Amino acid sequence: MVFNSYTFVVFFIIIMILHNLPFSWKVKKINLLLASYVFYAAWNPPFILLLWLSTVVDFYVGRALFTQQNVTKKRLLLVISLMGNIGMLCFFKYGGFILENFVELVNLFGVDYHPAKPNIILPAGISFYTFTTLCYTIDMYYKKSEPVKSMLDFSLFVTFFPHLVAGPIVRPPQLVPQFETEHKATMKNIMDGLLLLTFGLFIKVVLADGFLAPTANEVFGATSALLAVDTWMGVLAFSGQIFFDFAGYSTCAIGVAMCLGFALPQNFRFPYAAIGFTDFWRRWHITLSAWLRDYLYIPLGGNRKGTGRTYVNLMITMLLGGLWHGANWTFVVWGGLHGFYLWVEKFFRDTFSRRGTQPEAVPMTVSDKTPSLGFLYALLTFFLVNVTWVFFRAGTFDQAWTMLGSMFGILKGGAPMLTTISIIKVWSIATIMVVTHWWMRNTSLLQLVYKVPFWLVSIGWAAMLVALAFSQESSSSFIYFQF
Amino acid sequence: MTNETLARPALLAFLLFIVAIASWEFYLRSDGVNNAYDDNPALWAHSRGQVYLPKDKSTVFVGSSRIKFDLDTKTWIDLTGDIPVQLACVGSSPLPVLYDLAKDPNFKGKLVLDVTEGLFFSTNDGNRQRPNEGLKHYHDLTPAQRASFMINKPLEASLVFLDKDNYSLNALLDKLELKSRPGVFMFPIFPRDFDRTYFDRQSSMRPAFVADTVQQNTQKGIWKLFASGPPRPPLSGAPLDSLIQTVKTAIDQIKSRGGEIVFVRTPSSDFYWAGEQKKFPREQYWGKLLADTGCQGIHFMDYPETDHYICPEASHLSPRDGIDYTRHLARTLQNKMMWKFPKSF
Repeated sequence: MVFNSYTFVVFFIIIMILHNLPFSWKVKKINLLLASYVFYAAWNPPFILLLWLSTVVDFYVGRALFTQQNVTKKRLLLVISLMGNIGMLCFFKYGGFILENFVELVNLFGVDYHPAKPNIILPAGISFYTFTTLCYTIDMYYKKSEPVKSMLDFSLFVTFFPHLVAGPIVRPPQLVPQFETEHKATMKNIMDGLLLLTFGLFIKVVLADGFLAPTANEVFGATSALLAVDTWMGVLAFSGQIFFDFAGYSTCAIGVAMCLGFALPQNFRFPYAAIGFTDFWRRWHITLSAWLRDYLYIPLGGNRKGTGRTYVNLMITMLLGGLWHGANWTFVVWGGLHGFYLWVEKFFRDTFSRRGTQPEAVPMTVSDKTPSLGFLYALLTFFLVNVTWVFFRAGTFDQAWTMLGSMFGILKGGAPMLTTISIIKVWSIATIMVVTHWWMRNTSLLQLVYKVPFWLVSIGWAAMLVALAFSQESSSSFIYFQF
Repeated sequence: MTNETLARPALLAFLLFIVAIASWEFYLRSDGVNNAYDDNPALWAHSRGQVYLPKDKSTVFVGSSRIKFDLDTKTWIDLTGDIPVQLACVGSSPLPVLYDLAKDPNFKGKLVLDVTEGLFFSTNDGNRQRPNEGLKHYHDLTPAQRASFMINKPLEASLVFLDKDNYSLNALLDKLELKSRPGVFMFPIFPRDFDRTYFDRQSSMRPAFVADTVQQNTQKGIWKLFASGPPRPPLSGAPLDSLIQTVKTAIDQIKSRGGEIVFVRTPSSDFYWAGEQKKFPREQYWGKLLADTGCQGIHFMDYPETDHYICPEASHLSPRDGIDYTRHLARTLQNKMMWKFPKSF
């Protein structure tokens, strides 16, 4: 089930009614859990079994990890959990990719091996819920929090439908206490949640699907060089599309949870206003970058094992972060490029701090005295991010090089492709997006709406609803569902 | 804003939304717009799911846009008692759908295969996009998508503004018809009253189109624009033989399960018919298709009842002529091809 569908509208109304009836807290939680399974099964019913398996195994393994005193047995339990979750992820998500690369490798050595291509269906959300359960078992290993007492609360933590399929990736202390303690959504929660749901749907359905996706698909589907302006418009279109699509999903998820009285963590904070890549990864898919930091970068040693090792740990984290997004080397290169940018940034930061230079001179920070300089650095960051999106979106390296060659005028003889109206749509939306991100970089939508006159909020809200009704886009899935 | 909650703005927003939508709906209805369905992959997939109706109670139609306009489903049902399942796709080759039906061991029914030569004998990927999208949607259909489709049906039946091709945001922006950049092809905007699609996927010209020569000439201009690109020689020789062979293979698979197939050549007129005769000489294409596949065919020029139609825009029948054509098609299938229908007539 996707948020942008009539089925979800009916589903949500039913859940809201049920959740506000005078049932006991336990009954309400059971209703939410059953609803979450229905939400997931509406995609592909058999894959509920995988979700159950992951939930049941990690509940008991997590409890055992917390209580186990024997270090060897404790490590063995952790290995079981890691192998179970990562094994499942590897099989379903990377099985075909691993086989493909293995075949290429052995063919290189002259072995004539051509197995049949496996037809493995990727269960929706597997990358997200395996990371959620891994959070729990690793936290139990390090005793970072208490084990969840009831299977019901743990199942809800893993399966809660707003975050189940595409995040935000939640940590046990963020969500479990909310299930353990009975509480009700206030009118403020419900209204704020409905606004966020509307906004999330608007940016996904109207902006991403309606206005930007067609141009992005057209340009990235080109089989030969294009004019630079067309290629850049396609990349900008994708840049906007992936943000609006994914931030739209996260905003809907947060809004829906809020309507039910639950708080999910923020996942995007106007990332195209980021100044530098450290800042970018504190604004883009915040819960994933925090997960990678806490469960990969820091266990690898973080920055505690010397400068050289820090650079290595940084790159490993970014390469694996890239691979998490998809079973294709282009995603790895995308991650590697971000790693490289972070390297350069770290190098400059380390160089300036060795020289004892004032913070204002370091381009990754901006003070009130240098907002225009900060905006220029943010534009530079946005420009570099757009280059990385080429690898993220292109299906092959050939396509990526053709795109980059067209973007920078290296490939000559490119042809125009886009109509005037397409260019106007993309340019307008991209410009408004960048300016809005900069303007909102230190605030949030909800903080803003409580500062403006109510009639202005009404007009904006009504405009989004009208645009949703007029866009008439079919219920296309969210880009991050394929991850 | 001093409100503690967003309840007041939410209520006002909802009221503004209702007023805006109601006003737009009222405006369109007063302008003569009637209900239609988006001919999208979801609607196609719904029709695709109907092909398993008993062979003696239904007929599947596969082709391009002509059979969608020319087959009047109400007339067909009233006359034959048979349920028509419309799987034709506008601007598209019928072959992806034919191959899919051939691969489906559960399809054993009656199949009418409409031939529009420029599309039937095309290997252009663009001409296969719509049927492939429909097929993908059908084969990947989730329970949630099924439910959304059923919820959407009464909405599209009630609200005329739910017409993506004419009244979505993108369609309204396209109607601005901003000048195209040199070298960039802009897909022309079809006249509003040319094609209205019903739930059973029948297409129909509205009376306003049939009465309006301006709209008809606009549509003729669009057909001429499509034909004016760099000349592409029609498929011939070995590639043509190969394509017809794949068609024969698919047909034989369906026949081996008890299915029955008839080709039809639906009417065209004026410059369109003249161009098709020149580019796709009958013996080398229609005749060869029937001969190589061993199937029978109903060509509109072979019958005095159907050789005289004037298509308003040279390519598709008016609703009145569609009713007439449907009666003749049904009679020919029953009397000449010996097809069985629930009702004899």
